[in-house]
Amino acid sequence: MTTSKLGKYLSGLGLLGLVIFLCVIPFYSTDYIVSVLLDILTWIGLTQSWIILSGFTGYISLGHSAFFGIGAYVMAILWLKLPYPLIILISAMSSMTLAFAIGFPVLRVRGPYFVILTLGLSEFAKYIFINYEVNVKGTVGRILLGVPNIRTLYFSLLIIAIVTILCAYLIKRSRFGYGLFSIKEDEDAAESLGIDTSIYKWLALGISAFFPGAIGATMALRRTYIDPYSVFDPIVSFQIIVMAFFGGIGKLHGPVLGACILTLISEFFWARYPHYYLIILGVILVFIVKIMPSGILGIFDLFGKAGKVVKFVRRK
Amino acid sequence: MALLECQEVTKNFGGLMAVTNVSLQLEKGEIVGLIGANGAGKTTLFNLISGFYPPTNGSIRFEGDEIAGLKTHDICRKGLVRTFQLVRPFHNMTVWDNVMVGALFGVQKCKNVSRAKEEAMKVLEFTGLHEKKEIPAKELTIADRKRLEVARSLATKPKLLLLDEVLAGLTSTETTEAMKLVRRIRDEMGLTIFMVEHVMKAVMGLSDRLIVLHNGEKIAEGNAKEVSKNPTVIEAYLGEKLHM
Ligand SMILES: Nc1ncnc2c1ncn2[C@@H]1O[C@H](COP(=O)(O)OP(=O)(O)O)[C@@H](O)[C@H]1O
Ligand SMILES: [Mg+2]
Repeated sequence: MTTSKLGKYLSGLGLLGLVIFLCVIPFYSTDYIVSVLLDILTWIGLTQSWIILSGFTGYISLGHSAFFGIGAYVMAILWLKLPYPLIILISAMSSMTLAFAIGFPVLRVRGPYFVILTLGLSEFAKYIFINYEVNVKGTVGRILLGVPNIRTLYFSLLIIAIVTILCAYLIKRSRFGYGLFSIKEDEDAAESLGIDTSIYKWLALGISAFFPGAIGATMALRRTYIDPYSVFDPIVSFQIIVMAFFGGIGKLHGPVLGACILTLISEFFWARYPHYYLIILGVILVFIVKIMPSGILGIFDLFGKAGKVVKFVRRK
Repeated sequence: MALLECQEVTKNFGGLMAVTNVSLQLEKGEIVGLIGANGAGKTTLFNLISGFYPPTNGSIRFEGDEIAGLKTHDICRKGLVRTFQLVRPFHNMTVWDNVMVGALFGVQKCKNVSRAKEEAMKVLEFTGLHEKKEIPAKELTIADRKRLEVARSLATKPKLLLLDEVLAGLTSTETTEAMKLVRRIRDEMGLTIFMVEHVMKAVMGLSDRLIVLHNGEKIAEGNAKEVSKNPTVIEAYLGEKLHM
């Protein structure tokens, strides 16, 4: 009892230390380091938002690239017209609104059909924006001028990532969270125990779409040029899934770990062997699904169990 | 007023009449058995009452309110809950968490998790699962899974409990235990129980009253003696199966 309390206290302190470290580090490092950290925060926020829907309810979304893209486009359209934190908020709300709008019919579909449907919808969103660019605006993409410097963007993403994690954490421990886990385990049984499964899934989808909207908006400023192909890139969705499963979706820190490690790996490969990166992503995905279904955390668990067995044997 | 009243309930699966014009009443505090051969329509009737699908025709009233066509979760919140013939525990949750979900939602809707945990603990003690509370549901034996299914439903604080073959597949000691539990649920918690059962000795011993379905139709109703002497019932199926 007391050791677990101490453990909680220590991990709380560790977390606080980490946040302080992340707040201070940009003032003592090069732009390159800041840009890598910024990427890591982006992916942490994206995987964590995905967990709120897909990790908790088991409805695997391949549509999060669309929520990211919507956010980026809202930013591009409103940039310089409103204060920038406000645009980020509007972008996030736009993604959420879209999710709420499509939610009920989409969430009726279960299993692999849901996965394919979300992929299809995000491709559909991409073509709507391509059409909008070409036929309405007569352009291909958008350039954003006078964007904030990289450290400002870094802090925006730090806040977004922290809020996303906090939101996932609070949901996980709440009545709402248990409703979502029940849906993942057995939707009919959940319904029979009094859970309004349709509303719960719908809320989870909306909340889950909010954060990628904010992240997409911030990343539009980071990239300074966006077009539908780059911000509605389905690779974003795939990468989120690989990161989440790589880290292990059973616990919240799993996806965070997955996002950190894979962003660093991708940083390395993008620079040197850009064409191999996707292959490596694919190999990792196959490897996880076949060999370590509970991700990196699962491996730690195995070590933990092995440790217990060793202790047990020694005692005997 | 009857607790549950079905009037001429019919369910038609694209031409197949799974339940035809079934009318029945359950009074508060009764244990009523629903029997009939495989495919007679027992589970379908339970699915209709608990709102898994709407009846093609007919009315279902619970405490006087029409519930036909309501969603399952709404019906649960009114105090009518069912268990599944093929048990469906939340496999990756612990026994305690499984039961807690019932307490969090359902009729009583505990507002927070710690309150629900306490409520769930009471149910675990009542059903004798408290020593296994930290075990993931998937590691339980069949008998314990069935017990968990009942416990989870009880945690919603229902007035009417529909039990779909909770005794099937149990050993004779487990059956005795489970029967004791069913009786205690009625006697100590004051619930009304409507149970589908194939184990004749058990259902005859437990029920105040029996309802017999055959090919989707209600063919008889009454206490064990009356039903087992009913010529229609004997002709339909009991004769070959019932060795009393
Ligand atoms: N969802 C369904 N769709 C089509 N037919 C069904 C469905 N559910 C049950 N049935 C049919 O209805 C009949 C009654 O089934 P059921 O209620 O499960 O019987 P019992 O529980 O008495 O064994 C069977 O012929 C079964 O095949
Ligand atoms: Mg059945």
